[in-house]
Amino acid sequence: MRFIIRDDPAAVGEYVGNYIARRINEFKPTAERKFVLGLPTGSSPIPTYKVLIRLVKEGKLSFKDVVTFNMDEYVGLPIDHKESYHTFMFEQLFSHIDIPPSQVNILDGTKKDLIAECEEYEQKIKDAGGIELFLAGIGEDGHVAFNEPGSSLASRTRIKTLAYDTILANSRFFDNDLSSVPRMALTVGVATVLEAREVVVVVTGQRKSLALRRAIEEGVNHLTTLSALQLHQHSLIVADEDATAELRVKTVKYFKSIERVQDEVEASHRELRANGNGSPNGKITSSME
Amino acid sequence: MNPRALRLALPANHVVLAGLLALEDGSLVRRDLWFDKEKGLIVDAQKTFYELGQRPSTTIDLSDDIVSPGFLDIQINGAYGFDFSIFPQDDANAGKEYDSGLRMVASRIVETGVTSATLLGWHAEGPFLHHAKRGAHMPGYLLDAPDGFETFETIYGASALKHQTELGNKGVNGVAHARRSPPFVRMITVAPEIAGVIPAIEELFKRGVVCSIGHSIASSDTSLKAVQSGARLITHLFNAMPQLHHRDPSIIGLLGASPILANQKTNPDNNNNKPKSQFTYGDNTKKAQETNSEFASEAFSDVTTPPQTPIIHPVTRGAVPPFNRTLSNASIKGKFTPSVAAPPPIKLFKKPYYGIIVDGCHSHAHSVRVSTSLLLISIFAVEALGDLVGIYRTSSRMYSYYRRFNPTFSAMPMLDPHLEDGLHDWRDNRRLIKEGVKLYIEGTDTLAGSVVTLDICVRNFVQFTGCTLGEALKCVTYNPAACLGIENRKGTLRAGADADLVILDSDGYIKGTWVGGEEVWSTAK
Repeated sequence: MRFIIRDDPAAVGEYVGNYIARRINEFKPTAERKFVLGLPTGSSPIPTYKVLIRLVKEGKLSFKDVVTFNMDEYVGLPIDHKESYHTFMFEQLFSHIDIPPSQVNILDGTKKDLIAECEEYEQKIKDAGGIELFLAGIGEDGHVAFNEPGSSLASRTRIKTLAYDTILANSRFFDNDLSSVPRMALTVGVATVLEAREVVVVVTGQRKSLALRRAIEEGVNHLTTLSALQLHQHSLIVADEDATAELRVKTVKYFKSIERVQDEVEASHRELRANGNGSPNGKITSSME
Repeated sequence: MNPRALRLALPANHVVLAGLLALEDGSLVRRDLWFDKEKGLIVDAQKTFYELGQRPSTTIDLSDDIVSPGFLDIQINGAYGFDFSIFPQDDANAGKEYDSGLRMVASRIVETGVTSATLLGWHAEGPFLHHAKRGAHMPGYLLDAPDGFETFETIYGASALKHQTELGNKGVNGVAHARRSPPFVRMITVAPEIAGVIPAIEELFKRGVVCSIGHSIASSDTSLKAVQSGARLITHLFNAMPQLHHRDPSIIGLLGASPILANQKTNPDNNNNKPKSQFTYGDNTKKAQETNSEFASEAFSDVTTPPQTPIIHPVTRGAVPPFNRTLSNASIKGKFTPSVAAPPPIKLFKKPYYGIIVDGCHSHAHSVRVSTSLLLISIFAVEALGDLVGIYRTSSRMYSYYRRFNPTFSAMPMLDPHLEDGLHDWRDNRRLIKEGVKLYIEGTDTLAGSVVTLDICVRNFVQFTGCTLGEALKCVTYNPAACLGIENRKGTLRAGADADLVILDSDGYIKGTWVGGEEVWSTAK
């Protein structure tokens, strides 16, 4: 696991945005070989999306040959509802970038047969060649996507009942009316996320610090679904200083100290590859993972 | 969302304007606006993207410029040398001439951000106005309405007052549709204290005609009654009405009306503000009572303040619904819903909108700010004395009304940002002196109107009140549209609305104007 610490959410967004852009550009996607990107909603990824938009507008990045899969969507909420994840993604990202609408995939919580919708979604991901990079955020209880505490770490895309905490937290978006908050959501499973070839997680704010500690410093536990990331071969967590508040000084110091080494390894590997000597699969591995 | 927006979506014709959008709540948000330039409509971008799976071919990047709905000027009497109030009745080609005059104004006024190329209906100012506050209206033409609504029908023509749908027929192209529509009066400025006016307001309200209070000396109670009967607007606030008096704040006082008190029946004793006291305080009082015998209140006299003040009885407490948080929150949003314990409200009270001339001369900057701070929410509409709520065609009766009752007294033909200061010929062999935005009748100090354009008003409004540009834009777009009940089509950037747009820089200067999805004016040209 790689763990990068930046000063504040904006700096985190800058890092992650540039990281994703570099991954897409190095992948050199074409119409036949598209880059498949998994995307989250929520407040954590917004700074990242802002950077991606800026890079597209500056002409340094294009989503023409990028396919996206979103993590989750509420059940029963119309697509054009102001709180739907369709709306969120459109307003925060899709309307500002050059992605063809046909390459955007979001679970449809208005379908009658929700189970079929989930199965089709898994199939669609497979057909697209699997997810190259899954970007994620986490909840205060360490959930990734809507895989709330207690979710199976082997779970796939499915219907999920929301935890009472989540319903309470979300009610602020629904005029504080608990009864109008959706009770269920469709979400990719923990295993779906882990199957991505790379997972990048954005964690910002002190409220996420306990969850981050449990995910990084403690064992794999279904009560903190993010901790399953420890089993992933190629994962990256980017946090701001606030989110590290509950970590041990030793942990923070360690990851800060190896960041420079990691950068050097990556840079030299890029150089090698540019000269045609690097590992052909484009993946950079190092002892830090 | 309006289903039309989706049905008409043909993405090949779609254009994206990327800039800061001036939204209905007065905020400026960085977002893209998608519109269909063929149909001249704003489309629902999100639906087009997800459901049709298409995105527009053209993107115009405005960087930090603002995209506002086109301005609605709800009170205009003419511009660029053309006077809406004069109809050359005896000329055989009069109709044609008049029509081309309207078109000329509509095509030129876009430089001020006003996109009312679709004329929305007449705003009839008069003749049911009070003599004492007639302003520039000829005394001989002012009328009572002894038969209430029937008198209104006689004057304006029954067809002009027939029940109105939102914007008439379902025309796609705004202009064409306006031309097809029968002539109608969309707004009437009335003085509610004139006999027969209040019952007429109720009927007009039902028919969708907006009644505006103005040129009036109505007492607080009469003003309130007018609003309870359906009046929705105040015409040029502060002008042609009694000045604010704390004991009888009259029309201006409506801005401070409490939705709780205003929803109950007014105390019958309170309906007439005649002093009940037997004391007399000398000539001053007598004079005031004589002049305005029917509507006596010292607040009615701008010049002298008689020592006798009106007697206002306390409001009966029993009828006041209990005050609670919910109630006050609800009223702030303008959606008053009584709590369960409250007695059934008599009539829903909605604070009226008001127009105000933000030229710094018809209303001092301080007064403008006072008026805005009186309100918990910004429901004001800025008006430049001038607007294109006029229509293309109208019956001869309408013309004769205008000839007869609103004769040649508007200075509005002078509304032309390019007109130089100095003496200008007017009518009846009289001349006007233009000094900046002010117009005086030659040889007098009588203000004959304002030639301030709406874009200047917007910038003034920001300076005078310290509000944001977005909030000021709301006052010339969404607010007037909502007041007229056409906010689905005009004054908004919501899907399905007409793509009448104004592009402004961050200081509020107009850089371009689009009508029906087509760029009609630009500083670049």
